[in-house]
Amino acid sequence: MKRILVIDDAATVRLYHRSILESAGFEVTEAVNGLEALERVAEAPFDLYLVDVNMPKLDGYGFLRELRGKNQLPQAPAIMVSTEAAANDQAQAFLSGANLYQVKPVRPERLLSHVQTLLGMTPTDVGRPS
Amino acid sequence: MNPLLDQFLTEGRDVLQSIGERLLQLEDSPNDAALMDELFRLVHTLKGNSGLFDLPEMTRVLHAAEDLMDAARDGRVPFDRALADRLLEAMDFVATLIDEIAEAPDDTPPSTARHAGDAVRLGEALRSLLQDDSPPLDADGTQEIPQDAPPALYRTDAGPDLSALPEQTRQDLRQRLDAGESLCWLGYEPEEECFFKGEDPFHQMLQLGAPLWHRLEAREDWPALAELDAYRCVLRFEAIVSASPERLAEHFRYVPDQVDILPLSALMQTDTPQASATAIGPEAAWSFDRVLAAQREILALSDTPPWLDGRLRAVAASLSAAFISVDRAIEVETLEPALASALAARSPAPLLAWLDARQPPTEIGEAADIDAGAPTDSSGAKAPEAEAVRFGRRAEDHLTNPRTLKVDQAKIDRLMNLIGEMVVAKNALPYLAGRAEDVFGVRELAREIKTQYAVINRIAEEMQDAIMQVRMMPVSFVFQRFPRLVRDIAHKLGKEVRLVMEGESTEADKNIIEALADPLVHIVRNSLDHGLEMPEERRAAGKPSEGRLNISARQESDRVLIEIADDGRGIDPNRIRRKAYERGLIDETALERLSDQEAINLVFAAGFSTAEQVTDLSGRGVGMDVVRNAIARVNGAIDLRSQLGQGTSLRLSLPLSMAVTNVMIIESAKQRFGVPMDSVAETVRVARHDIRTIKHRRTTVLRGRLVPLLSLNELLALNAEQIPNDDDEFAVLVVRVDQEYLGIIVDDCRETIDIILKPLAGFLGGLNGYAGSALLGDGSVLLVFNPRELL
Repeated sequence: MKRILVIDDAATVRLYHRSILESAGFEVTEAVNGLEALERVAEAPFDLYLVDVNMPKLDGYGFLRELRGKNQLPQAPAIMVSTEAAANDQAQAFLSGANLYQVKPVRPERLLSHVQTLLGMTPTDVGRPS
Repeated sequence: MNPLLDQFLTEGRDVLQSIGERLLQLEDSPNDAALMDELFRLVHTLKGNSGLFDLPEMTRVLHAAEDLMDAARDGRVPFDRALADRLLEAMDFVATLIDEIAEAPDDTPPSTARHAGDAVRLGEALRSLLQDDSPPLDADGTQEIPQDAPPALYRTDAGPDLSALPEQTRQDLRQRLDAGESLCWLGYEPEEECFFKGEDPFHQMLQLGAPLWHRLEAREDWPALAELDAYRCVLRFEAIVSASPERLAEHFRYVPDQVDILPLSALMQTDTPQASATAIGPEAAWSFDRVLAAQREILALSDTPPWLDGRLRAVAASLSAAFISVDRAIEVETLEPALASALAARSPAPLLAWLDARQPPTEIGEAADIDAGAPTDSSGAKAPEAEAVRFGRRAEDHLTNPRTLKVDQAKIDRLMNLIGEMVVAKNALPYLAGRAEDVFGVRELAREIKTQYAVINRIAEEMQDAIMQVRMMPVSFVFQRFPRLVRDIAHKLGKEVRLVMEGESTEADKNIIEALADPLVHIVRNSLDHGLEMPEERRAAGKPSEGRLNISARQESDRVLIEIADDGRGIDPNRIRRKAYERGLIDETALERLSDQEAINLVFAAGFSTAEQVTDLSGRGVGMDVVRNAIARVNGAIDLRSQLGQGTSLRLSLPLSMAVTNVMIIESAKQRFGVPMDSVAETVRVARHDIRTIKHRRTTVLRGRLVPLLSLNELLALNAEQIPNDDDEFAVLVVRVDQEYLGIIVDDCRETIDIILKPLAGFLGGLNGYAGSALLGDGSVLLVFNPRELL
């Protein structure tokens, strides 16, 4: 089962992402900031990361830089989710190590499609009734 | 309620609370960058959350607030009182909306469209503070909406050019129309100055959901970069969306003059049907393209940070997954060597070459920065079969779960009611044991029942205790609103006040805390309005111009003590005496006789108000008598001390809990009654010959103090003589009412018990002499009287 770490300081957003991902059968773990996310990663790495930008203690950019700096870990894809539709933020996200940049709120079908693609699953298999 | 909405409301309230606190803290230390940062993030979080729902009014205000906080955080706008006031006002508005949504009966958030006017006003008020920061507007920067603007729907001089649509899209549209779907073509030309009005055209378009087709272009040729005015909006949005014209008109209700909406059905008739079969769904193809475009962009980065290896490996992982997802796994075999050489060279070039060989750059990949225009499949995007594959969470997931649960009050109340019934039900066991022995003569069984009762009794008591603990709330629940309240009132009155609060974590039962809220607010208002003087008056009296208001709470045995003290002008007993006399509350003899403390206590008399004029703050005819009664209703006491010129202090003493009432059972006229132990000072036996009649009232002397005596049977009009014991002594219950002691003659005093007191309901509720009733173990009803009202 694919494991996804949802990192966001807003409980509502975490619940939103969790419910979408769990409805598609993913296993979701939550972290409320970058530091806590690193602790979760230290316990066991994940198959995908869904990362908010603005968080206390350690923000999304900082988390990604730390994560990408860990050479002993498998490097799973990361989707950065921000409220800002700014090109500058996307560049910053890519520099820090994100693989995709999305603007909140991400529609459920869109989120699932991206997540499944980044996990090597065919979105039509899981995201839609066959 | 929808759990997501529920979560949103809960978190929203928490965040609003924190925002209020941070704002007030920032007023004290406006240069605290960490605080400012936190405040920005709180507003940002709230805005992000509101974006998950269709709440345009809330989002609009929060967006403006976020922009303002962003500017304040960067020092572009000074953080001052005006800014704090505007933000507080905006947050109040958001709180109102949240309350409204919470009260709505159904699952979906109700339309808050009727607040649109307020939202626009608040948004503009917030943005007006940003003006210094932005380039100057035209002389007439405000938009005028022409009154005779044509109805939003059909300003179609610029109709859609459907020939620009790809063939596949046209087929898709036609199929949807055939299936009865309502499709519209939408043209949106935001006015040039829209950014200064808090409008966000892009967001507005994104909020529509993914269109079936879209095009975004400039309305005029782009000027040279040096001449480009980034603050002017010269874009034209076109989209085909699955929505009714009415819904679109509602969505663009603020900018009806800038939008063209055209139902699509008429435009699509000439097409001929063609079978279209795509290997993968449009959503998947879109994701594949987006992922590849993003990886290409990442690989084009030329920096070499320490985390470059990780970044490259993540890109390779993403590419690999993307190719596998579209059944091109075979091509991934060559990816591993490409990654290896990229890592060796510390350069993305080998990976980029690999990617270009597989998938040359496409227009869509390069052009679409932010994917607003993906194809969509609204017919069934949810995953029904996924329901079957739900997996248990792993143990480590629980590490992130909060240690505190938020529980609906109603659930706790229900538990409390149930344990109340349980306590009463278990009280029937001793009675049953008695019957087993006396009526059926089975002593052994009676003994066993009693043993079992002891066990059940212990468990029930522990349960009750545990539930009571759950119901305990800190007084901060009430205190937390004081900083804002004090600040607002002090500003209004032109007074300088320093609020000091202590012991906010002191806990008491939620009923007590809730009952405390209104009286405390009233007391604080009184202190600010009447107690504390104007700064000049204070200086003239040799005090610091800033007044002090202390609010403290602490626990003392089973009582919570709350003290509200100010260092204001104090209460003048002579003025109180005069007022009370003028109002006919006391006669001339009392005027002479009253001690200063007794005079001060007259402020609690009904109909007494010392305000020279009714002010809009603490006036309105509500006096301290209301406060005293409210406190008394939860078995609390209030004590007022004042020193003329020095200040006033009010001390409230409240029980920790009122869920269980300890009562003494008394007998009178062959009936049983309960008296709350709170009001019982002592019980004594008074011999008939020690009762004397003074001024037509029976009295006796207890330890050198004169105590008036009243007969319970007379008070209750029971029409029976009180019965003394064999030694001709009467049982007397000494009760304390407002620092006075009174004796009530009863026939006998019995044991004390814990009961769940239920207020009298229906027309019996008008009987103020009774505090309520309770069920006893044998099933009989005990009436508990309220000495204060009875006497």
